[in-house]
Amino acid sequence: MIAKIVCYALNGLEGVPVEVETDVNRGVPAYDMVGLPDAAVKESKERVRSALKNSGLLFPMNRITINFAPADIKKEGASFDLAVAVSLLKASEQLVGVNVGKTVFLGELALNGDLRPIAGLLPILISAKGHGFTRFIIPAENAKEARFLGGAEIYPARSLGEVVGHLVGTSPIEPLDTISYIPSSNAYTSADLKFVKGQPMARRALEIAVAGGHNLLMIGPPGTGKTMLARCLPTIMPDLTFEEALEITKIHSVAGVLGAEGIVCERPFRTPHHTATTVAMCGGGNKVVHPGEISLAHGGVLFLDELPEYKRSTLEALRQPLEDGVITVSRAGGTVTFPARFMLCASMNPCPCGNYGSSERACTCTPAEIRRYRRKVSGPLLDRIDLQVEVDDIDYDDLTSDTEQETSAAVKERVDGARRIQTARFGDYGINTNAEMGERELAEFCALTREGDDILRAAFERMHLSARARARIIKVARTIADLDKSEYILPKHVFEAVSYRIYDKIG
Amino acid sequence: MQYTEEERAFIWLCCVAEADYHSRVALLHAAPSPEALMKEPEKYFPHAAGARYTPDARKRAEELEAFLSSLEKKGYFAVTLVSDDYPESLKHISLPPLLLFGKGRRELLKRRKFCIVGSRITPPWAEKLAKNFSEDLSERFAIVTGLAEGGDCAAIAGALPGGNLISVLPCGLDECYPAAHASLKEQIAAKGLLLSELMPGETAKKYSFHARNRLLAGLAEGVLVVSAAVRSGALITANCALEFGRDVFAFPHNVGSVHGEGCNELIKKGAYVATRSEDIFSLYGIEKREKKARQFTGEETRVLQVLREYGELHAAVLAEKVGMSAYETAAVLAALEIKGAAVKAGGNKYSAV
Repeated sequence: MIAKIVCYALNGLEGVPVEVETDVNRGVPAYDMVGLPDAAVKESKERVRSALKNSGLLFPMNRITINFAPADIKKEGASFDLAVAVSLLKASEQLVGVNVGKTVFLGELALNGDLRPIAGLLPILISAKGHGFTRFIIPAENAKEARFLGGAEIYPARSLGEVVGHLVGTSPIEPLDTISYIPSSNAYTSADLKFVKGQPMARRALEIAVAGGHNLLMIGPPGTGKTMLARCLPTIMPDLTFEEALEITKIHSVAGVLGAEGIVCERPFRTPHHTATTVAMCGGGNKVVHPGEISLAHGGVLFLDELPEYKRSTLEALRQPLEDGVITVSRAGGTVTFPARFMLCASMNPCPCGNYGSSERACTCTPAEIRRYRRKVSGPLLDRIDLQVEVDDIDYDDLTSDTEQETSAAVKERVDGARRIQTARFGDYGINTNAEMGERELAEFCALTREGDDILRAAFERMHLSARARARIIKVARTIADLDKSEYILPKHVFEAVSYRIYDKIG
Repeated sequence: MQYTEEERAFIWLCCVAEADYHSRVALLHAAPSPEALMKEPEKYFPHAAGARYTPDARKRAEELEAFLSSLEKKGYFAVTLVSDDYPESLKHISLPPLLLFGKGRRELLKRRKFCIVGSRITPPWAEKLAKNFSEDLSERFAIVTGLAEGGDCAAIAGALPGGNLISVLPCGLDECYPAAHASLKEQIAAKGLLLSELMPGETAKKYSFHARNRLLAGLAEGVLVVSAAVRSGALITANCALEFGRDVFAFPHNVGSVHGEGCNELIKKGAYVATRSEDIFSLYGIEKREKKARQFTGEETRVLQVLREYGELHAAVLAEKVGMSAYETAAVLAALEIKGAAVKAGGNKYSAV
């Protein structure tokens, strides 16, 4: 008898339906798997055999053929175990009269019959729902991320025994209650701007960067709190909408780094170490393509501490995703496009010894050394960083002073206000923030007054700014004007925007 | 480039025949003229230690011709001690160069010259001030300086647009030290004048900086030291200037600032204090042309006043004193910076110029 069971494979962030067809014939006992299964899939035979036996079921001693359809895509991983087991039961007539045609089975089996969680469950569920499937049996440990999918019957099972009990109707499993999404209140993060002492310039730069979606570079001596400031970024960013949260959760689910909450409801903050390879940063993998750090930072912050220490090729690879917001990775296993719209926040020392500009310690670097150090970061990448700010060397009195500092919540309120203005402005343009503006939007929304234009011209001559820097400065000025709730870009906004191009001067 | 017979013989002696500086001088003293040296070297050369020449007279002429055409090809010219435009001031220093190679505006050699030097690490305010000085002074003088970062670069930045700039290299004209300034060097060759006493292909050695600094001081009527640590190349130039009887000026620095101690030391020893370009002009009896006054808004004037009062200030501290928020002050400071009235000193600190 032939049984057909549906399960899903992952291709990037998309689920691809896979039918497990099992035929049990009379003949010399044998077990053949066809349809491009990889080693982990082939090994399912041993797991399925033990799981069936330890669940009080029979492993048929017949000639068994299992086919994974469509036969031309590679199947990887252990998430087919449950589907293989159920199809074997069905084919060997141990599940007579049970209709499993419209049910999707997902899960890895342990030898004792328990179900283990799988990576990428949420994207699979979303895709499957799009394909018309509404009934799912999933590992109980994955239940948390599945709860956010409405309009489907989802049965979390702890073991193969429970699955069979549910199917034959002796002990039905309760379907999952769907819950609605609540944005996180950052309750569990310790970062907050109120703990940052001093740093008025850097605080302001943080606020502008988040308000307009600009990238940020912090330059300062070691140990002055650059990392701490960066950690505060997610706390002042706007709350995630459900769609954003779902998209981020999909990526994290595929990468297998989803936390206990089941959904990512806080903006991600990724800090890849400077030894990270290009593949780790952008995504890749041997057969199946996994998302890289920039995709895991989607919707949040990618923090590169000590920017010049990163490999140049790795940094250069960031340029295209910074522009497009997506990364397309091609591997032998196929070509996959991951979203990668992140805010880049980088930090670096002003010079190799770190004391350039410090009032306490003297800098011992020669101009040539400083130039070499700064040249490690290429111009094109710097050009994509709109805000460059110096972080102050704080002295002991500042550290121990207990002056009340503004909280993240207060800053976030202003940021939300500026974002609302931008949303209203860009409603029909398909963009959300000032940083995403193209030439068309620049011409329409960022007309400079005569005076403003004169300022920019003078700045170009005085500070030797690159021509490309012009559009960047205007975008930042637009954000500053939005924070100021000003309809027009005033000269003071342009001046302030110009003051964040320090690298052009000192570099 | 047309050379007289005398110049040609001189170039042959300095560039084609093998000899060191002292043998060349001895040879010039022994022979009635440079031409005689080239014509009958066998008469004079045996008496000079280590001097060698090609015995065949025709070959000698060919070698000289080849050398001159190689200079011509690169656009270089040679100024010899006997040339009309050999700077008079150089003749009175110790070991005056017998020959200088140049590229660019040769006529600058005849102009009045003033030297501006500074250490490679120069505080931003001093760089800015040096640039302003260089701009002002270059209206009346050809500015003489090197090619290094910091003080030299500030002097170049001020004088290059007007073209009244002589940059003396510590290496041959083919080379560039520091290498990063290759394009700057090209600009100077196009608008101003590059000079070197070394053969075109020679690279910079440790001692060539010292020798170059003696030329800087030798060429100019006066030397302005914008910044110098206790041990600094700029001080070598200043010492040469004193030795040659040139006027020495220096920017006053804060007491204890590492990159200004040399300047303060010079002032202690009697150098002129320079805070405005008039200080220099007045010594030479030149009246400075008045420039258009800069326009400032009310806020800018207030910030500038506070800056002048306190010297270097952190933007946040400044904001407190002026009674504005830090980011508003940042905008005003950017405006002042663009207008050239303030400069950023790193670490969010600013000072007035």
